[in-house]
Amino acid sequence: MKPFYVLLAAIAVIGIGAIFYSMRSGAEMATEPLDMSTIANADSLLAQARGIPIGDENAPVQVIVFSDFQCGGCAHWTTNVEPLVKQEYVETGKVRYTYYDYPITSIHAHAFLAARAARCALDQDKFWEYHDRVFAGQYEWSYSRTAPVDIFTRYATETGLDVDEFTQCLRSDRHAETVTANALLGQTLGVNGTPTVYINQRKLGDREWQDFATVSAAIQAAGGV
Amino acid sequence: MGLALLALTGVLVSAYMTAYKLGFVGSLVCGTGGCETVQNSPWSVFMGVPVPVIGLAGYGLMLVISLLGLQPRFEEDRRIPALLVGGALIGLAFTTYLTWLEATVINAWCRWCIVSAVIITLTVLFTLPEFRRLRSQP
Repeated sequence: MKPFYVLLAAIAVIGIGAIFYSMRSGAEMATEPLDMSTIANADSLLAQARGIPIGDENAPVQVIVFSDFQCGGCAHWTTNVEPLVKQEYVETGKVRYTYYDYPITSIHAHAFLAARAARCALDQDKFWEYHDRVFAGQYEWSYSRTAPVDIFTRYATETGLDVDEFTQCLRSDRHAETVTANALLGQTLGVNGTPTVYINQRKLGDREWQDFATVSAAIQAAGGV
Repeated sequence: MGLALLALTGVLVSAYMTAYKLGFVGSLVCGTGGCETVQNSPWSVFMGVPVPVIGLAGYGLMLVISLLGLQPRFEEDRRIPALLVGGALIGLAFTTYLTWLEATVINAWCRWCIVSAVIITLTVLFTLPEFRRLRSQP
């Protein structure tokens, strides 16, 4: 009987070892920003910052938003203000609107993964649809005890993405540098909370971004539109 | 002993799939690509529980019971073969349902799911002597 238990133990050790090897090998799913202590040149990382713009690049007013998918204020902005900005100003050529990631990972455990997920959707030209879906489901995934990979994958299905391609992207470290670079850019500019909204380089105050009427007035004042 | 080996194999396969489901493994070693389609489909969760976790629990229970059955004091205990037979049949029914989903609904095959189906089928076959022993006992 003893040889049998030895065989059983050997199989268990080999199997568990193989699983751990799978967990370590290949590109691990990036759920946290890059460790800045390992970055030799922060400027080169900064150069990788990439916003996601919509609207006429020659529009008289530039609106830049630093946002965190797990932030309640950002959900308010996305639901109540942003659609009106797009409808009234972006679609009429008066505003170029650019989104930058600023996941506050110290308090929002899944914000970085959400940002990467949205950029995986961007790879398939469906960033805004996916962005809206993630914010709409914020209450669902924010409190997940583990990385909400399944939930984000379901959102990919719902927004018509190629799920296999999306999953391979999400479960890797793709876009980790870009999202980290965007957050570093925000820090460099003095962003210390989200959403942070800039209209032609003027940062809106805490109460200004919450209401479309105030944002609208600021846009009009900035560009004479 | 064969049952214990099968159950352990099932535990390891389920543990690997669970690690993938929870995001600890980036991509599955699968070859066909169907594994990720199946594991990321809505049917990879049953009544709110990831299917690999159900497999892990089921195979884990089978492993414990089969090891208990090897101990001298449980050799004549009828509960052991009854639990093994019952567990194997439930596992086979569930696996058949999942395989049907792959074939007709998801339209993709996950090799690791097929491995698990083979394991549970062999488990049922290995429990047949236990079933006969149960029936022959007064």
